[in-house]
Amino acid sequence: MIADLFGRKFYMASDTIGAWVMLTLTAILGIILITRAKKWPIIREYATTTHHRKIGVLYLLSATLFFMRAGIEALIIRIQLAFPDNNFWVFQGEKFNEAFTTHGTIMIFFVAMPLLIGLMNVAVPLQIGAQDMAFPYLNAVSFWLFLAGALLVNMSFFMTASPNAGWTLYAPLSTDTYTPSAGNDYYIFGIQVSGIGTILAAINMIVTIVRHRAPGMTLMKMPLFPWSTLITSFLILIAFPVLTIALYILMFDRFFGTSFFSGPEGDPIYWQHLFWIFGHPEVYIIILPAFGIFSDIISTFSKKRVFGYGSMVVALAIIGLLGFMVWVHHMFTVGLGALVNTFFAVTTMLIAVPTGIKIFNWLFTMRKGVIRFSTPMLFAAGFIPTFVMGGVTGVMLSAAAADLQYHDTYFVVAHFHYVIIGGTVLGAFAGIYYWFPKMFGITLNETLGKLHFWLFLIGFHITFFPQHFAGLNGMPRRVYTYTAEDNVFVFNFVSTLGAFLMGIGTAVFVWNIYKSFKKPQKAGDDPWNGRTLEWSVPSPAPEHPFENTPQVVSHDPVWEAKLHRDGELPKASESRTAPIDVVSWQPVMLGSLMLFFSLAFIYHVTWLQVTLGIAVLGFFVVRALTDEHTKKAKEDQAHDNV
Amino acid sequence: MTTYNQDLQGDKKLGFVLYLVGELVMFATLFATFFIFVQDAIDPTPTEVFEARTVIISSVFLLSSSGTIHFAEKAAEIQNRKGIAIWLAATVLLGLAFMGVEIHEFRTYYHEGFTLTQNIFLSSFYILVGLHAAHVLFGIGWMLLLAIQLNSIPSSIYGDKQKIFSYYWHFVDVIWIFIIVFVYAPYLI
Repeated sequence: MIADLFGRKFYMASDTIGAWVMLTLTAILGIILITRAKKWPIIREYATTTHHRKIGVLYLLSATLFFMRAGIEALIIRIQLAFPDNNFWVFQGEKFNEAFTTHGTIMIFFVAMPLLIGLMNVAVPLQIGAQDMAFPYLNAVSFWLFLAGALLVNMSFFMTASPNAGWTLYAPLSTDTYTPSAGNDYYIFGIQVSGIGTILAAINMIVTIVRHRAPGMTLMKMPLFPWSTLITSFLILIAFPVLTIALYILMFDRFFGTSFFSGPEGDPIYWQHLFWIFGHPEVYIIILPAFGIFSDIISTFSKKRVFGYGSMVVALAIIGLLGFMVWVHHMFTVGLGALVNTFFAVTTMLIAVPTGIKIFNWLFTMRKGVIRFSTPMLFAAGFIPTFVMGGVTGVMLSAAAADLQYHDTYFVVAHFHYVIIGGTVLGAFAGIYYWFPKMFGITLNETLGKLHFWLFLIGFHITFFPQHFAGLNGMPRRVYTYTAEDNVFVFNFVSTLGAFLMGIGTAVFVWNIYKSFKKPQKAGDDPWNGRTLEWSVPSPAPEHPFENTPQVVSHDPVWEAKLHRDGELPKASESRTAPIDVVSWQPVMLGSLMLFFSLAFIYHVTWLQVTLGIAVLGFFVVRALTDEHTKKAKEDQAHDNV
Repeated sequence: MTTYNQDLQGDKKLGFVLYLVGELVMFATLFATFFIFVQDAIDPTPTEVFEARTVIISSVFLLSSSGTIHFAEKAAEIQNRKGIAIWLAATVLLGLAFMGVEIHEFRTYYHEGFTLTQNIFLSSFYILVGLHAAHVLFGIGWMLLLAIQLNSIPSSIYGDKQKIFSYYWHFVDVIWIFIIVFVYAPYLI
């Protein structure tokens, strides 16, 4: 089918048409259901909110949505690879390239990132005794920029122009000479816009943690999730601007005729350096918060203070620091020389040391603890062996000489799924079960939660464990088929079965959320017998959570209060000014503006670029003239004058 | 300062400084790009392109504007609105003068055939110096916005707004010094 739009022709394959039909039906159904349930006011409330808990929920909701989209892509990839010489639907060749590219891109940027940033938004201010994030308005702007970018990458499929150069967007394949269609432009603008949102979110987190802690909570009395958030935010602040510039340069190559990454003068290796100088810290950006979540959960459900707290903090910091010194281990096969490869192999292996410290500390936290295997703890317990396996293959890969064999095979695919799913995704699930009461005032169903855990974890290992062997047998990543003689059929077939088990597990999770809202089980303020400050405020967390600012005198202040003060937290004598929450349509408007501004670039509509560019700048004017601080200062002044 | 809150303003200042850290990384990456691609530049080489005269004139304008914005800040501290207005106007004019010289410089290069796509040295030069120029332009717009608000908002909050702007403006100036030292000077001296 051919459609004509923006002066371009769009050739639609049956999968795209199917997706359009599904999207339209879902949208109509959604509108009908929302109208019937009279839920529009809630949607408006969330669209205009600047409150940290609600923004956190928005992040988590969109992450879940994108998780399903990229998850369906994963299933498609697995079906195509289930049998030798398979021809599933249209997913061969170019279509397959598009499928694995958007699967990777969406999973990293629009699932892993928002899951963690969402949980940070929900939990971190409460854990440190803050009334809200330092900049509530900026927080909303961050979210809507993230969503605008995410929608751009997601809509590319519907516009028959998915990115197709892999999530690493390696040049020169990603330059306009080799991929002239709009697909990789969607990637550039989508990641750019959401990246700006992420940088702003990181700044917000740092200021919140540095300046909004309750009195008495020194940095070394802070729970480990805020600690990991702080370090992660610094990683974002240093790493993401490199990506911003990498994409900026690539944009010049694709739009304005420069040739940084291709041609006789240009250097495609430079793209690899830029991408991985961002990309490797990114790996730690999505794993460190999960470490923080597990630390808090393991401590709570073992009824023990986390073992080796100080070493946990130091380990986080060292991992963060080393994270910037290992990027070349993604480029061992480029041929940068033995010395360079050796240096980066050693720094990479070093990371195993602080990570090992953390693993042992978690185990020692559980040792002689009073362990309860509620769903969050199950995920934490499942995480440890899974992540260790991913870590072991990581050390194997870091041996540069051996990496020449593993490079670009399914062994690598298996490795990074072990760490990213085993770490980040399990961590996010654990965090969602753990803090769900703080978000909505209800607990998720435990039976369904445990079913979700077992299906997902077993499915995960069935999916990815055989991929190690497929890789060792020589199966390259990013191929859409293989022959029966390649001796990888069994591994692929088992892997596909496992993927469907994971899919069923995820469906149980979604069903659990639906059921839990249908038959809500009210959670008290402190459903898990918690230790940190978020369990001292009502569930769901109100707009102004801490009636009296608590005075923190120890680690695990709520636990200490339960032991020695009949659960009463000591009150601080003075408190700092709370951030000003507002209700505003401006952030969502800015997000939409950026979305259309990007589209104007992607489709080369000059007049629209100019108009929307001016509109985006005009947004700064509107914001400056309507900001809540000035308004409040004016009111105060008028009040003083009376 | 009874009417306005120190806590929230401190948040803003720290937040903005962190934002500038991010910007610093961005510019550092662009400098790295320039260093890499300037080495093998032929047809043209940097020496054939750069002219000392325009660089010196534009530098004088931009660097002295750091002084004028500092005086504006001093004036804001003693809530001298007239002083603020004068020094702010001076900064805007200096910024505009800088932009004028820079546009002239780029136009001259362009007419000599030194375009964005001529070679990668020029590409990396334009995307670095061009991004800096965009920052100056944005700063000029920001100052106009401050000027509009000068008489309509409480002076304490105005002072803080201007302080954050001067962080930005000094930052843009520091980047320009790096541009002089690392981009122009090696090929002009």
